Amino acid sequence: MSAPTVAPAASRPHLTVGGQQIPVVLPNRRDPRLKLSAVIITLHVLGQTVLGFKVSIAQILVTMLVCGLIDAAVTFRSGRMLVWPASGILTGSSIAFILRASGTRHGDWWSLHGIQFFVLAGVISLLSKHLVRPTGRHLFNPSNVGIVWCLLVVGPNHVFAQYLWWGPNHAGVAFAYAVIAFGAFWILRSVRMIPMAVSFLATFAVLMGIFALVGRSFFAIWHVGPIQGLSYWATIALSPEVLVFVFFMISDPQTAPKVPSARVIYGAAVAVVAAALLFFQHTEFGIKVSILSSLTVVCAVVPFLEAAVRHRQLQRALAADGAGAGTDAPPEAEPPRVPVPSRPPLVTVLARLRRPAVAAAVVIALAAPVDTALLARNRQALLIERGEVGKANAQ
Amino acid sequence: MTDFALSGPRPASGPRKASTVVGLIFLVASALIGGNAFGTRERLWGSETPTARAPAASRDVGAAAAAGGATETTAPAPPTQSVLRSQPWWQGVTTLDGAGTTTAATFTIVPGALQWRVRWTCDTGHLLVRAPSQTRPVVDAACPGPDVGYGARTGPITLQVTADGPWHLVVEQQVDVPLNEPPLAAMTAPGASVVARGSLYRIDQVGTGDVLVYRLPDGTYALRLDNFFVTANSDLEVQFSSLDAPHSTDQVAHATQVSVATLDVTTGSLNFMVPPSIDPVQYKSVVMWCEVQHSAYAAATLRPA
Repeated sequence: MSAPTVAPAASRPHLTVGGQQIPVVLPNRRDPRLKLSAVIITLHVLGQTVLGFKVSIAQILVTMLVCGLIDAAVTFRSGRMLVWPASGILTGSSIAFILRASGTRHGDWWSLHGIQFFVLAGVISLLSKHLVRPTGRHLFNPSNVGIVWCLLVVGPNHVFAQYLWWGPNHAGVAFAYAVIAFGAFWILRSVRMIPMAVSFLATFAVLMGIFALVGRSFFAIWHVGPIQGLSYWATIALSPEVLVFVFFMISDPQTAPKVPSARVIYGAAVAVVAAALLFFQHTEFGIKVSILSSLTVVCAVVPFLEAAVRHRQLQRALAADGAGAGTDAPPEAEPPRVPVPSRPPLVTVLARLRRPAVAAAVVIALAAPVDTALLARNRQALLIERGEVGKANAQ
Repeated sequence: MTDFALSGPRPASGPRKASTVVGLIFLVASALIGGNAFGTRERLWGSETPTARAPAASRDVGAAAAAGGATETTAPAPPTQSVLRSQPWWQGVTTLDGAGTTTAATFTIVPGALQWRVRWTCDTGHLLVRAPSQTRPVVDAACPGPDVGYGARTGPITLQVTADGPWHLVVEQQVDVPLNEPPLAAMTAPGASVVARGSLYRIDQVGTGDVLVYRLPDGTYALRLDNFFVTANSDLEVQFSSLDAPHSTDQVAHATQVSVATLDVTTGSLNFMVPPSIDPVQYKSVVMWCEVQHSAYAAATLRPA
């Protein structure tokens, strides 16, 4: 095998390996994923410096590297092209932003403690992206599935999600809020996801307010006693962690609906499912998993949601056309009858379960909420959050 | 992007089919583990939850054994295992007396004990106490004097005592299991009655369980905490408060409060004699108070029984 040589700049970038030209696709400045990466990396920097995130630089880099390599390898295998794995790197960065390995200390920058959990989450994320494609494109948000899998399967004993409360450094937290708000406007505007985000936030804030009023509470390892009342509402509804989730995770254009009105329903649906799952949770761990799982559940029904919205839109358009035709056409003429495409009946959906990708999607979509709901009675999570496991902070 | 094994409508080859089956099995297994079905998740990856252990039945192992013949620290059968842990507390194991150099009687430190100690006194000369497999002596001091020496090994312990005169050793083990004391004999004696009761609720920390105030046949009062838990701390005390239903530390701090007892054990069922100077009828609630933190951990409103 001859040594790889880079082609002249004038031609399309490619590598020549063994006489074979392999196209190379480099990052594009206008790619919104680069914007998202910039925002997440800024938050990572804040987390490492002023916000006391319990994640090491080594954990972040390894996760990004593993996800990037897997994504690049899969893309190369399918297209014989070397594509800059922007999505894979972003998936790794998102995983390291949310996932934590219990026992990692802030400031231990080169620690590889619990790195297996980050790698596992990355592998699961990319497997779901490249293998579970019932509609020809990936159904689930990759990093979301990987993190939810890790939190549920590995469990509160070894992993947890970044705290809802980002610490006592008010200036640092305020700066993080500013970065999130700026990033949200910068990114969501370009992918037309602002209505979706508003839909989520409004629905979620109202539901959390109702929960606070009816006396719901939860325990968190960083708090003395239960969190209830206004603190319950503020800690969950205004958490920077939740804002990152809504602005930078559920807004993924690849897994969100394409139709604008469906996006608004999608945002509200994620909020409602998150609220339904977290209502019975007594721990911060359970609440965070509930919020993350809600996206897994709703992503699974996005094709149906989109089909339903398109169907409704088409019906309206046809009705409008029919009405228009009625006024313009001669009185004796019948308006043209165009068959309205019907939604797939349940029988068809069940028949599709024979397809492995559909079966896999159904298992994921059912297991995530059921396992999350079961966390509400998980004694271990409660003991950890209440600090009753014999360690001051088991996380 | 090309579809892979799970999605393709193409006819699956043998290895593809196998990998598809493996993938689906993996997903189903993940779903079961994620739900902790049959405790699989905790069996596979371990648990931060303390191992369930039998609670102690008495503050003094020797007394319990003498009274009921029960084994050293476990409650009478059937023992109710608990994962809850108390603030570590000292449980009496045995008392040893002697004069001069000798091998003391063997005692047993339970496997779950955090450490054990010997509170000693002697009158003349020098006292040297050694425990097996412990390089440093438990006690190596000049007499007379009282002091404390510590050990960490559990199981049967036989102390080697080298002394010039009489000595007295009180052996205690530090445990963090709940203490489930049975009600005092006087509480169930004819003439005894429950005069007030209440249920604990949280204030600054977690507190659960029932509070019962007994009037004993001799006219004195006793307090019993039943199925009790309060967030562990080393500086807690049980107080009576004049407040009907305190809900904050501030309220408790500004009301009349009187200390009944120090709370060395924070989980289980406990009895306390109310000092004769306190008339419980004058008070309306019981508060778990931390003087060091100046914090009301939990409280119970007392209602006439």
